Amino acid sequence: MSTGDGCHSDMDYSDDDCGYADYYNTAEDCDSEQINVVKADPEYTVCDYLRVEDVERLLNESVETLSNSLQVTPNVAKVLLHAHQWAVPDIIGKYRAEDSLPGLAVAPEPADNSRFLRCSVCLSTYGAEHFRGLPCGHLFCKLCWATHFEVQISQGIALDIGCMAQDCKVLAPEDFVLNLLARPNLRDKYQQFAFRDYVKSHPLLRFCPGANCQIIVRAKEARAKRCVCNTCQTDFCFECGLNYHAPTDCTTVKRWLTKCADDSETANYISAHTKDCPRCHMCIEKNGGCNHMQCYSCKYDFCWMCLGDWKSHGSDYYECSRYKANPNIVNESEQAQAREALKKYLHYYERWENHSKSLKLEKQTLQSVKTRIHLKVMNGSGTWIDWQYLLDAAALLAKCRYTLQYTYPYAYYMEAGPRKELFEYQQAQLEAEIENLSWKIERAETTDRGDLMNQMDIAEKRRTTLLKDFFEL
Amino acid sequence: MTASKRLGKELSDIRSANFSFFKDIHVDESNLYIWKGLILPNKPPYCKGAFKIEINFPEMYPFKPPKITFITKIYHPNIDEKGQVCLPTISPEGWKPSVNIITVIEELLKLIDEPEVEHALRADLAEEYLKNRKKFLQHAEEHAKKNAEKRS
Repeated sequence: MSTGDGCHSDMDYSDDDCGYADYYNTAEDCDSEQINVVKADPEYTVCDYLRVEDVERLLNESVETLSNSLQVTPNVAKVLLHAHQWAVPDIIGKYRAEDSLPGLAVAPEPADNSRFLRCSVCLSTYGAEHFRGLPCGHLFCKLCWATHFEVQISQGIALDIGCMAQDCKVLAPEDFVLNLLARPNLRDKYQQFAFRDYVKSHPLLRFCPGANCQIIVRAKEARAKRCVCNTCQTDFCFECGLNYHAPTDCTTVKRWLTKCADDSETANYISAHTKDCPRCHMCIEKNGGCNHMQCYSCKYDFCWMCLGDWKSHGSDYYECSRYKANPNIVNESEQAQAREALKKYLHYYERWENHSKSLKLEKQTLQSVKTRIHLKVMNGSGTWIDWQYLLDAAALLAKCRYTLQYTYPYAYYMEAGPRKELFEYQQAQLEAEIENLSWKIERAETTDRGDLMNQMDIAEKRRTTLLKDFFEL
Repeated sequence: MTASKRLGKELSDIRSANFSFFKDIHVDESNLYIWKGLILPNKPPYCKGAFKIEINFPEMYPFKPPKITFITKIYHPNIDEKGQVCLPTISPEGWKPSVNIITVIEELLKLIDEPEVEHALRADLAEEYLKNRKKFLQHAEEHAKKNAEKRS
């Protein structure tokens, strides 16, 4: 299939920078490397962002192919495609071998000798010409069929409307419904719902979950990969439609989000934006994304997460992200175990929530970085191009924070053992790396970028390591 | 129109058939949409009593399913404290317009005699039914003795 349907894959990629798109990107030699990093990013999948008309055309192509090769009407082809997840070759293979298409024979003629029949739904007697039936042979009067369809459509059901006979599983094809439906507004509704059902039964198509967004995403493979809608910019998982969540899988992230919603009251106390300086007890508001805090009043450097001295964080072993379980917990009382369970949850929740907040704060930081660059350029210290690296770094930082945020639900549900230890070690490494990066971006005063570029490279490598397991599964 | 025709016919059919398992059917002639009747299960622990149910037919009957509520309390995994019962035949997804109410009653009796613990409404009773059948039967029988109606 061609991908000329309004898809510009290069443009799509630039969106992953959380809207930090800049068109100087290709002007710098170092950026060619960066683009490669993005292309090699395992999170992304090649997606087409299609409009309803494009999808209708696409689906019709499949319908046509199938109806030609099996010599069936387009309506029969649609039923087959819907029932078999649009796998054209499979359907052809399956039905070519057989002489007839089971359950899809022509609707029966009323075989009764008498010219009058009784409808078992409304109990009225009409001439046989008033009766219709699906290939199962159950006949009902046209009026009852129409009412049945109206009731079903008003409940949002379209392609799953079935025969009215007891225990009969035969479904009504589109043309059968449309021929018997009298009211034009219901016909429109039916066709809308039918389109929705077709898209939902197609393994490679998804409606964009963005509010009021009409875009339908087509992926090359049905996997839990990241899509960014080219129209509404919604960033979501192709598989489940939630916010993108690697390295946590679809079921786990749903469990985690439900848990957080249930426990929100307990977790509320931590959502405060302020903490006291651990040394001088001055109330400090966190106004940037970086966890490395410096008290305005006493200049003490500390970590926002654990309130410990920052000195212990800068070195090669960053422990702030790792949860230390009480090893003797099984022997403790029930209350102690409950307390421990809550402590564990809060540990992960706090870090999850902190990254989510930091991501929002980082947007403010980006604004101030832009202002700073503007001032520098005005003062003749470097050109726009020289300062571009800072914006790239900010984009990378956001990406890393995002991934880190979703490592916490994953780690929360992970079983204790060497795998978890390794994962939390790698997580800690990325934490340390990005706190460094965050601190430097907020304070960069020169165009000397070697150090920062190096750090960016390491951060991206660490991020990919954390995602590795997820994509190899 | 369709609804009253169907209901009138179904009611007279049931009354003339004189079923042993569904009796004492009371329908207010001014409102054919609400029926009350007695269900008489066949097997222990419920076979010594009778259970009063109410059937509510929607205006769109038979295109929409009827609702069944137990008025007599019953100790059963598939019927909750409010008397609500989860029966696939009359669920919005499972309903078929050509199904008669007597078929639904037969399904209901089958569910009473053979509880379906996978679709239980009362998890505590389902657990007891699975883990301690003897205790469950005893509880259900005692409960029926205390709460159920007479069978005749």
